[in-house]
Amino acid sequence: MSSIKEKFNQISPSEFFYSNRDLAGFSNPTRSLYTAVREFVENALDACDQKGILPDVHLTIKAVEPEKPDPKPYILTVKDNGPGIDAEHIPLAFGTVLYGSKFGLKQARGMFGLGATMAILYGQITTNKPVIVKSSVDGEIQNQFEILLDIQKNKPVIVKHTTKEISKKGLSVSICLEGDYSKAGNKIRDYVYETSLITPYASITFDDPKGQKFTHTRFVKDIPPPPTIIKPHPHGIDVERIRRMIVESQFEIPTIDDAMIEKVRKDLGLSLKNLSFTSIMDKAKKKWKTLSRQVRVVIALMSFLKMDFEKLNKIKIEDLDIANKKLFYWDFGDSQSKSVDMDPESQYYKQLTNTVQGEPLTTFLTKRFQRIGPTTAVKFAEFAKFKPERRMGTLSNQELVQLSDSLQKFEDFMAPDSSCLAPLGEEPLEKGIKKFFNPDFTAVVQRPASAYSGFPFIIEMGIAYGGEIKSGGPHVYRYANRIPLLYDEGSDVVLKVVNDTDWGRYKVKGDPPFIIVSHICSTRIPYKTAGKENVADRQEIERELRLGLQFLSRKLAAYMSKRGQADMAKKRANLYAKYIPLIAEFCTELAGKKKEPNYKKILEENAVESKKSVEEEKEIENK
Amino acid sequence: MKTSKKEQTRIKERSKKADEKQKNILEMLKSHGATIYDDLDNGQFPKFSIPSRSVSNIVYDKKLRQYILGNNAAVRSSRNSAQLRSFTQLMWLAFFANRLTHEKKSSTLRDVYYSSQAFAIEFEDQSESDNIIVDLEAVTSKPREDFHIFPEERSSIFGDLNIEYTIPGYEGKTMNLSNHPDGYSIGPSLTTAELVDTSAEIVIAIEKGGLFTRFVEEQIDKKFKSIIINTGGQAPRSTRTLLKRLHEEMKLPVIVLTDGDVYGEHIAMVIKSGSANAAHLRELTVPDAKWVGVWATDIEKYKLPTIPMTESDIKRCYDLQKDPRYQDGIWKKELDVFLRLKRKAELEAFSKYGLTNITDKYLPQKLELAKSL
Repeated sequence: MSSIKEKFNQISPSEFFYSNRDLAGFSNPTRSLYTAVREFVENALDACDQKGILPDVHLTIKAVEPEKPDPKPYILTVKDNGPGIDAEHIPLAFGTVLYGSKFGLKQARGMFGLGATMAILYGQITTNKPVIVKSSVDGEIQNQFEILLDIQKNKPVIVKHTTKEISKKGLSVSICLEGDYSKAGNKIRDYVYETSLITPYASITFDDPKGQKFTHTRFVKDIPPPPTIIKPHPHGIDVERIRRMIVESQFEIPTIDDAMIEKVRKDLGLSLKNLSFTSIMDKAKKKWKTLSRQVRVVIALMSFLKMDFEKLNKIKIEDLDIANKKLFYWDFGDSQSKSVDMDPESQYYKQLTNTVQGEPLTTFLTKRFQRIGPTTAVKFAEFAKFKPERRMGTLSNQELVQLSDSLQKFEDFMAPDSSCLAPLGEEPLEKGIKKFFNPDFTAVVQRPASAYSGFPFIIEMGIAYGGEIKSGGPHVYRYANRIPLLYDEGSDVVLKVVNDTDWGRYKVKGDPPFIIVSHICSTRIPYKTAGKENVADRQEIERELRLGLQFLSRKLAAYMSKRGQADMAKKRANLYAKYIPLIAEFCTELAGKKKEPNYKKILEENAVESKKSVEEEKEIENK
Repeated sequence: MKTSKKEQTRIKERSKKADEKQKNILEMLKSHGATIYDDLDNGQFPKFSIPSRSVSNIVYDKKLRQYILGNNAAVRSSRNSAQLRSFTQLMWLAFFANRLTHEKKSSTLRDVYYSSQAFAIEFEDQSESDNIIVDLEAVTSKPREDFHIFPEERSSIFGDLNIEYTIPGYEGKTMNLSNHPDGYSIGPSLTTAELVDTSAEIVIAIEKGGLFTRFVEEQIDKKFKSIIINTGGQAPRSTRTLLKRLHEEMKLPVIVLTDGDVYGEHIAMVIKSGSANAAHLRELTVPDAKWVGVWATDIEKYKLPTIPMTESDIKRCYDLQKDPRYQDGIWKKELDVFLRLKRKAELEAFSKYGLTNITDKYLPQKLELAKSL
């Protein structure tokens, strides 16, 4: 009995994110400052990666009023040496939500460049200051924008735009936002530190608000091969995605307007001549092979309408009813809908039906998915109980669901193409671990590519023991697509796998000084939350992590037992050195002798033995 | 004090005998030391074998009527880092025993534990050092007393027995063991003394100090021409050595009087045939010793006040039933009765019928009975 009329308004993406900002990691000043740093640094690294540029990233955080207590406004600036962004795209890229260049299917740190916009939005909400973007794509001219977001309209408002001459390419983004550095500082420093471990080819500097400078210089000169953009794998598909792909693949009946007619005339070489309907058809028949698909469709329509260009100009095609073989059109002259029958025997009939009904299933599969060849496509059609030549445009909703389900279930598809992935590689990973931890022992492994739900992934792992690593291990460093994951580690799949491991079995005991680095690369990391901090335990990923860790643990165990043997030999030598002289002393008196026996021989022999095994251990390490 | 010529020769002979025993011990230690010295000098890790004292290597010898060690032996090597420490400890102990024997000084088990600390030989606790002492006994087949190492526990002796000391400073001194009514404690000087003569015809070993005092008061030594020994529970080795010597050197029969329970029965058995713990030694048993009471059958016969057995008492009964020495005779019979009664009686239980009931009535009956056992 309510008289209140509910209002339904469409909200803009900006508004949506504004009201749900905690989803994206902007829940409080501490977390927001950290998330903003992440988003900008990751965008900078992604931009450089894509163009194969060795990244130089400079991060600066400055308090607007240093004396004020936290939380307070900070100016966050991230500058890179990447390709920059064309001036014309800048307002849209930084002033709208869901505008990005990252929609292809390949591994990247961020998905749509969405986080950066969120950071800008958050900055604007908390300080009402515009984002300042400086970009140079040619290393000569730099465009500088000050942009505000119109949240309701999801549109950029350019406050200021200037240009100046410059000598370096690259992008610099600067925002003012409310943050709490006293609380977020640790995480941000950890983030920068851990990022430089997984991005050894980047130089990253960080000037913090307290005047401290953290510099991480690149120690690998080769950038890993960039990932390629690929088609989707059939296992990673859903009904909605198929529907969209069909729309993309379907040939529309061209709108027959003046421009279209002009084009048909031109292609037939009849620009200036007005021929009768039959003459046009004759001409078309002769030129058929040279005609484009669009033109052919128009000719086919004309063949059933039996109209010349002049008449054609006065109608509008309404519908092609393939089932009843009827062609409906609107006659402007009579202002009514008319129809003509189509002769299925006509050569033009097929042209039209093909156009409306789209590609055959097998073509659709081979052309639009990765890992499907003609043979597999036919096999699949049989499995899914579809005719191979079935036109995609004729599938009912129910059949689409059936197709989608079968695509998931069919097991003969090859594993997803992993060329869209960009793992770091064993060598740089090992180099990084050695440089960062200076351990006694290091082992790394890159597992072969695998897939979950059609998304390819690769696990890279490293393990290191001793040296400068602090005790209390295993300390786990988690990465996903070259992003360090610092929060919410409790519920992460990597932690689960590590905690499930019985380290005693690998001769790791007590309070061991050891670390584990895990890097999951995928076109889609199954994060548990939008904050991108912990990875869900997908069975396939868990399995690969387990295999990787087992491999490394066995290597560690081999090292530990060598180390244990060396320790034992040393211990034994020490024991001999302690007790043999005592035995000598006692037996000398017992035997009633004056001079002690020459027991040095025994001790020397053993010292040599224990030294030998220490050397062996070193050799093994070097291998 | 004047001594006759004959006496002097006798003393000389005696001290010669003691010297010889000491010489043998020293020789043996020396030869062990020399072997190890030579090994070291040749650049080899010294080692020796120790008879295994594990349960599987302890067997009952029916002929000897005691537990002995079987043929299993373990090699203890200084090359083995796990054994190096105990090897060194044993070497030290031999070295220490050598000094004790040389200087004719005695040492308690606890002394050994502390003395070790002067030589950077760490024993974690006394039980570790006690264990090493048993090792030395096993290697040499000699009781620790031969190396002048004694336990603290003391039992006492009273009766007409003349002894002559052999320990330094007392050589030739004599003593009659009925001079002091509290008895004499059985320590190193007594166990090493010569047993000169006695008027006694029997040795009565009694489990409890209280009864020992009663027996002295009641002049059991005179009434029954006996030497009374208080074992203070399970008889210490020095006491068992002395019992053996009284039996063998003075030809005295030994009877044992204990509480009427399974532990008492076993105290008598240990005096008679030793304990599994000392299976590596053979000088500690009096196979002819007789247990005269308090038997389980006595509890009923003399209508003694009883207390119920505890669970551990009953378990002990079942354990002993498996012991080969409890398979026949009164040992088996009494054990079965204990199990049937599930009750026990102490020696003091006789006090119900008057303080002297045990000495006036019970003891004479038992002494009479012992002759026929």
